[in-house]
Amino acid sequence: MLNRLQISALDLRLSIMAGVLVAMALVFHAFTGNFLTPENLYNIAQQTAVVGIVAAAIALIIVARQIDLSVGSVLGVVGVLIAFLMYSKGWHWAPACLAGLAVSLVIALYQGWLVAYLGVPSFVVTLGGLMSFRGAAFLVADGKTQPVSDPLFLMFGGGLDGSLGPTVSWALGLALAALMAWNTASRRRSAQAHGFPLRPLWFDAGLALFFIIVLLAFVATMNAYVLADKGAGQGIPIPVLIWGVVVMGLAFIVNRTRFGRYVYAIGGNPEAALLVGIPVKKVMLKLFLLLAMMVTVASVVQVSRLNAGTNSLGTSMELYVIAAAVIGGVALSGGSGTVLGSVLGALIVQFLESGLLLLDVSIGYRMVIIGQVLIVAVVFDVLYRRATGERMT
Amino acid sequence: MSNHNTSSPLIEMRSIHKAFGGVRAVEDVSLRVYPGEVVALLGHNGAGKSTLMKMLAGAYPIDSGEVRVAGKVAAIASPADSQRLGIETIYQTLALADNLDSVANLFLGRELTTRWGTLDEYAMEKAARDVFHRLNPNFKNIRVPVRSLSGGQRQVVAISRALHFNASALIMDEPCAALGPEETRMVHDLVRKLKAGGVGIFLISHDMPDVFGLSDRLSVMKNGKTVGTYRTADVTEDEVLGMIIAGKRVTRVAECFAPPSSAE
Repeated sequence: MLNRLQISALDLRLSIMAGVLVAMALVFHAFTGNFLTPENLYNIAQQTAVVGIVAAAIALIIVARQIDLSVGSVLGVVGVLIAFLMYSKGWHWAPACLAGLAVSLVIALYQGWLVAYLGVPSFVVTLGGLMSFRGAAFLVADGKTQPVSDPLFLMFGGGLDGSLGPTVSWALGLALAALMAWNTASRRRSAQAHGFPLRPLWFDAGLALFFIIVLLAFVATMNAYVLADKGAGQGIPIPVLIWGVVVMGLAFIVNRTRFGRYVYAIGGNPEAALLVGIPVKKVMLKLFLLLAMMVTVASVVQVSRLNAGTNSLGTSMELYVIAAAVIGGVALSGGSGTVLGSVLGALIVQFLESGLLLLDVSIGYRMVIIGQVLIVAVVFDVLYRRATGERMT
Repeated sequence: MSNHNTSSPLIEMRSIHKAFGGVRAVEDVSLRVYPGEVVALLGHNGAGKSTLMKMLAGAYPIDSGEVRVAGKVAAIASPADSQRLGIETIYQTLALADNLDSVANLFLGRELTTRWGTLDEYAMEKAARDVFHRLNPNFKNIRVPVRSLSGGQRQVVAISRALHFNASALIMDEPCAALGPEETRMVHDLVRKLKAGGVGIFLISHDMPDVFGLSDRLSVMKNGKTVGTYRTADVTEDEVLGMIIAGKRVTRVAECFAPPSSAE
């Protein structure tokens, strides 16, 4: 059955995680009564975006058997720099963001070169980066908070005005739904034209319909969040839109480009990747540059969300990002994991945070619980891989 | 096909040296393969045969010496260079990415792309089905990660690279070491087919039936140096073992550095 439907162990795993997410939502709602409200879901969606953007990219780093512990600190230094250029130097937000991107790329070039070309373990390189760039974040503006007020820039962070509104949200939702339907149809057509086995029509149609319903339900929920003094629904928050674009872009890279294929090949068997002629060092460096771009995007969103750049921006974010990727099914041993999994992982962490907060669980207990949930996720990972034959021991 | 053996060498390695730190892994080794010829390379573990072949495959840089492909001096600095010269290598470890499927592994490093530069999965799968079918008609589950395949199927994937990319020369490192009798026969048939098609093959093997069943000439290495190179038909198994174990040259017959032009 699973074979005929062409369901892989990976698909099954993502389905299980989606199930866990739904179960968590229902349990929290049953206990608090206000978890599944448009307001709460709207807040969760935009709070998850920053971690989600970086988690999607770090998933690929981990797939390639590397790690980056410096993402939080780099996000900090880039964010403070952008805010500093806007507030203290009077720059327009666009060149300020480009300057932030440039700094982020230079850092990635430095760290990526050490890892890829000199062969220094990325754990060590980025552990050093974790400290150094946190220090640099302090140095940029002498530790002073840099407020930002440009209304256009503040839209990147969501909040009251940073969302698409009902009309645009529906248009976008329907356009994406049409794209999904077209994608399924064209894939079936191509498979048929090439004489490859097709999944049953009911299954493909059902699957496409399921994703379309989830998408439209999300749009409806975001539109249902109406602020008293605005009258109209909020619609999709801009940070979530950015997150969505990042996820789709990375998923495209993974599934449709040579670069994406090489990242997985390197993670699966680095020696074989070298022997078949993959430019392993170049791929690795590019991967760090890709992560740097996503960290910059996340940094812009974060500064905008807080209306300021502070030297503590992104502190301990590396932990949440790596936790999200691992809970999302990315194996630390490399070669396995998906961008979509990182989305689910980020949501699970945020659901937990938000749900426990609504239950009035104190910060101490919250940290204890989230840490143990991470371990539960990894235990599940080990057992699942053993059960599906991916791991022998 | 008639004049394979009278033509010039397909690959000629001259006075190749390689050292790792202070260890001389390969010292002054020269070896040729002609079109349509199988040259077996023998020796103990650590004799330097895999190192020699890895230099030809582009996995290790050559310290000194010269490689000529079809008469022209070739600079081989990477596996991609070696592949561009028409040399394919089947490693003992098979060099497969276990987490990717057979189609992805066949084309790894040389993916087919659409005109937009994206992966052309359909073209790759179609070509892969063809080449896998030629090697093993029963091999159908080509879209699962290769970690879940049998040893024989994994070998099919590794060999299919040589077949699909129309190698002019092939390096096979212990191709039958992990295979059952039926799969071993498949590999033997393939070697004969490729040989008939004019491919020059270097065969690293410990297995005497493999060597005597397939090779035209054989070369024995010990401690990084060549002990001797002979026509396979001129020497006995005992003499070959004597060369491998004791490094004792055979003086009963002359060495042979090119296949006799009269070979069938």
